[in-house]
Amino acid sequence: MTAALRVAIAEDSAILRDGLVQLLVDRGFAVTGAVAEPAALRSSVAQNPPDVAVIDIRMPPTFTDEGLRLALELRAKHEGLGILLFSQYIETRYAADLLADDAAGIGYLLKDRVADVSDFVEALERVAIGGTALDPEVVTQLIGATRRSDTLSVLTAREREVLALMAEGRSNGAIAHALVISEGAVEKHVANIFAKLDLPVSDQDHRRVLAVLRFLES
Amino acid sequence: MTLVTEDGEAPTHPEQHTQQSEHKAVSLGITEEQVVKLKELAQRILHEPFTRRPWTELAFWMVSGVLGAVSLAVIAATLIVGIWLIITFVGLIIIAFSLRMARGFGRWQRTLAHNFLGETVEEPNAFVRRPGFFGWLQSALRDRVAWRSVAYFAVKVPWTVLGAYVAFSLWWDAITGLLSPIFWHGNGGPAMWGLAQGIFVSNGYGDGHGFGHNVGVFLLGVIFFFAASWVMRGFVTVDKLLIRTLLGPDPVAARVRSLEQARTTTVDASAATLRRIERDLHDGTQAQLVALAMRLGMAKEKLDDTEHVDIDRVRELVDEAHRGAKEAITELRDIARGIHPPALDIGLEGALATLAARSAVPTELNFDLRARPTPAIEAIAYYCVAELLANVAQHAQASRATVSCAQQGTWLRLVVRDDGRGGARLSTIGSTSSGLSGLTERVRAVDGHLQLVSPPGGPTVVTVDLPLSA
Repeated sequence: MTAALRVAIAEDSAILRDGLVQLLVDRGFAVTGAVAEPAALRSSVAQNPPDVAVIDIRMPPTFTDEGLRLALELRAKHEGLGILLFSQYIETRYAADLLADDAAGIGYLLKDRVADVSDFVEALERVAIGGTALDPEVVTQLIGATRRSDTLSVLTAREREVLALMAEGRSNGAIAHALVISEGAVEKHVANIFAKLDLPVSDQDHRRVLAVLRFLES
Repeated sequence: MTLVTEDGEAPTHPEQHTQQSEHKAVSLGITEEQVVKLKELAQRILHEPFTRRPWTELAFWMVSGVLGAVSLAVIAATLIVGIWLIITFVGLIIIAFSLRMARGFGRWQRTLAHNFLGETVEEPNAFVRRPGFFGWLQSALRDRVAWRSVAYFAVKVPWTVLGAYVAFSLWWDAITGLLSPIFWHGNGGPAMWGLAQGIFVSNGYGDGHGFGHNVGVFLLGVIFFFAASWVMRGFVTVDKLLIRTLLGPDPVAARVRSLEQARTTTVDASAATLRRIERDLHDGTQAQLVALAMRLGMAKEKLDDTEHVDIDRVRELVDEAHRGAKEAITELRDIARGIHPPALDIGLEGALATLAARSAVPTELNFDLRARPTPAIEAIAYYCVAELLANVAQHAQASRATVSCAQQGTWLRLVVRDDGRGGARLSTIGSTSSGLSGLTERVRAVDGHLQLVSPPGGPTVVTVDLPLSA
């Protein structure tokens, strides 16, 4: 990595905040701010703009969806700022709000994912450079709730796996790595999926995510 | 003579003694007080026919009676038609309409009672209509208020007829009796009607002659005249009772409503408790475990890098993870204790003693409970003491506290007292649902009371009354 990615953290649990800082510094990130509530992150981002902000959804004062609202606000104000929402449970509606118009530079992960440090760091990097990182849980819920399950049933089991990983925001290379197949095979599966579901083909990962999510939500 | 009371104490005031014995002496006959009362009663009886009351009652009797009879006729007719047609389903609709009318007729009777008699009867529960036509039909058919109105009219109308018969016969006979010296000079008796006719005429009253007989008839008229208004009163009183019980609020419905309220409080209180537990788990244990997993994940990755293992860093991470795991265990135990204190398994006394011993402020416990409360009450009592002692430690700046738990009949009374600075208020001590207001809700959910007395400068006394069983 040439220049260290700059990360700001808003997390009200001190234990987790400290742990995250430790982890990120350990992995060579530059932490521009680690704060406990929305207002502090707002000023931290304004003073010392990061590449990506890690935001807990439940924060003071009401402990409901402060983080989500803060994320939408920061996104509108700071173009190109990556947002990784961090939560202890998954609300599919939050994902829908967040991805309403664009999936570029958006992440939504369960806090548990930090246990797999590499995956977490990879997701954070992806979001920082304008990619997408959706928690597998979000994707599972979306697939489970979709009214297009009859259409999905035309996919093979392998194609469904690829679809889920695509929805998480992973690149072909990462999908190939996760499924232990060649990248060429992944490309073939992706082409098949897009053809079967009649989706517009896109080479950019986050556009691809949006297309898949739109399909699942409709 | 010395008078000794049952306790064996000599009376302190001798005058008292003499007064008592005098009182005793006159009470053998008729006291002056009673004479006064009798006079008042006699005056009242004599005045009664010349006051407004018997006449408004009579007017009420006639108006409400006619209206009641018409109402009953309409209700009965529609109900009978409805039952007749019940097989065709139209019958049910007719019955429903009939019941809706019965409700309205009942309201008229309440209004009449209010206007004529000044008898204010509370409105029964409003008609709750469920959505849709079938909802309406079902609600109307199952409307307890309407059915009670039907019952009212079924009882009221015969009662009115009887009352009217008795009252009118009394008035008629009173007037004929009173006027007998003018119109009937020994030419047979005056035209008796109604009750008096039944009683007296068959006994040969009509055949009587002579002065004595005429005086008797006249006196009978006098008695009837004064008795009539009281008899009327009796009938009206019974009708008022009927209106109150059958047209007023349904006692069953009132009980249901109060139970519903209690249930709402209980449900709210338990929802608040669940929310508190969720928050504790979310902010405490879950965050601890995530941080723990994260540290172990980092350690694992460092170990995977076989070429260059930074063993000191790994040890550090494992140390931190180990510490985090122990903290998570402690937090989980605290949360579990918040859900159900294991100390209660050995009984309330032991649990409260533990709380008193653990309190940061030296605390004395007085426990005097003969019956064991139900588990729900024990738990509430325990949380009250726990919360109150925590408040004492946090806010009161007290040097001592006492907790007393005593039985008063079927109630348990908890008193927590401290010698701190006072000035506590329900809104200031205890933060949100977990604080004292939360306690108040819990206490209210079982019909208990919580009272706080805390003048500035102290001492602060919180009294909690709980039923022994709930």
